[in-house]
Amino acid sequence: MGSLNKETIQKGLDVFQNPADSKLITHLNSCVHCGLCAESCIYYLATKDDRFIPARKVDLVASVYKRYCTHIGKVFPSIVNARKLNEETTEEMVDLLFGACTMCGRCTAHCSIGVDISFIVKTGRTMLSNMGMVPATLQSTVNAALTSGNNMSIPTEEFVDTVKWMEEELIDEINNPNALIPLNEPDKRVLYTLNPREPKFFPLSISAMAKIFFAAKESWTLSTAMYDVTNYAFFSGNNTEAARIADRLWKEMEHLRAQTLVLAECGHGSRAFRWEAPNFLKKPFPFKVETSVELIAAYIREKKIRLDPQKIKEKVTLHDPCNLVRNGGILLEQRVILNHFIGDFVEMTPHGIDNYCCGGGGGQLAMSEYNERRMKIAEIKAEQIRKTGANIVVTPCHNCVDQLSQINIHFNLGVQIKTLAEVVADALILD
Amino acid sequence: MATLEIEGKIFEVDGDGFLSDPTIWNKEVAQLIAKHDGIQEMSEKHWAIVNIIRKNFEEKGMAPMVRVICQQTGVKLREIYELFPLGPARGACRVAGLPKPDGCV
Repeated sequence: MGSLNKETIQKGLDVFQNPADSKLITHLNSCVHCGLCAESCIYYLATKDDRFIPARKVDLVASVYKRYCTHIGKVFPSIVNARKLNEETTEEMVDLLFGACTMCGRCTAHCSIGVDISFIVKTGRTMLSNMGMVPATLQSTVNAALTSGNNMSIPTEEFVDTVKWMEEELIDEINNPNALIPLNEPDKRVLYTLNPREPKFFPLSISAMAKIFFAAKESWTLSTAMYDVTNYAFFSGNNTEAARIADRLWKEMEHLRAQTLVLAECGHGSRAFRWEAPNFLKKPFPFKVETSVELIAAYIREKKIRLDPQKIKEKVTLHDPCNLVRNGGILLEQRVILNHFIGDFVEMTPHGIDNYCCGGGGGQLAMSEYNERRMKIAEIKAEQIRKTGANIVVTPCHNCVDQLSQINIHFNLGVQIKTLAEVVADALILD
Repeated sequence: MATLEIEGKIFEVDGDGFLSDPTIWNKEVAQLIAKHDGIQEMSEKHWAIVNIIRKNFEEKGMAPMVRVICQQTGVKLREIYELFPLGPARGACRVAGLPKPDGCV
């Protein structure tokens, strides 16, 4: 195996220099190899391949730290399993940290001593990003967002045409000319966001949310300049690029002077903005940020919308997106909503903060090279869904929707996959 | 480089099964990929959708918005999801021989 040039190695090692606090060094030195994380990881559970055990991923990053930042690792590397940052090591890091982790955080939740394994994986991704080794397929989605303003490079004119089309469809559907989708209107209560896959390929969730806003008599707007809720740089590990993407949404909020930024049904987008944007940008939010899941639950609680309990008679189950639930704290709201109007609601086993990832998180959907592995680990989710006997799987995350739709065909489940807004919109009782 | 074998014909594809070289695409290739996805017979509507996607890709280098597909073919939005169960991206764009679109698809 060849070696990398000094400059590249140094860029990778920069993550260990001057960390903001003791967290990284503590967590790199804490794993006791109890092995409890193995059974929590869908990659290990589906393949029984030891390489995929989360502790092994932590060890990989820790081995590089030891080689360059500890005395014993510098002098007797083999004694402490300290490894050089060379082509062999980086190849393994790319394969395991990008190709065999959805950053779902289930291992972190199960760790017997509280090692933040996801954080170590993320740090490993940052090392690779510093060295220019992010898989090209993932980087291409980040680049699309950076250069065009949205991760699918949708031109503004085409975006506006699609929104206008959905507005016409909604007006026709409910036969009310006031069911509008406002664009770029300042001083509204809510600025709503979208995942670009909605305008590009799946716009029914746009009209569904517009219908809910109409029913709730909400004061809201979309922005044409910056509507993209996603932030794939959160997955690539490039914090500078992640900060640039977050900053755009932040500035658009300030530009339109809305009171609350409402994040669309997008797990990682919610996590990357709500929980990470203040860290990326080193300042507190001057405005309120919430997810559409919380907003819809609030509409129900405050009786701003009414739902017909007879409308959806099929058995419904719920998939909890890792980034929204385990890593985002939104656990009860989606259940409040579904229990309010779904007669036959059944939970998966396990669910909530212990739920299994769909297998599409961590940027996996963008990285074609790992498709086969992604479908292999999806067996677990497919089996979970099959066991519920449900006809409809609801999930408040567009990324999960896409992975679940592929699972649905691949494993021949014969279910419908829907966003939360879609089922709520279907059951709305309009005055 | 991954390969996809359908009825004895071998294509170079990415990990998601999208053609590595979009220029080798022709109607026969489209039919084979469709069959691989469980679409036994390409109907007139299937072809109309695929042709619009292909035309847009050749002119603009990317897949069209689903709005353009609906408005130029007259096929209803919900029907597109039925015709291509894997959706406009993983389903129709793959049959049309495009590279995989970026983003959550």
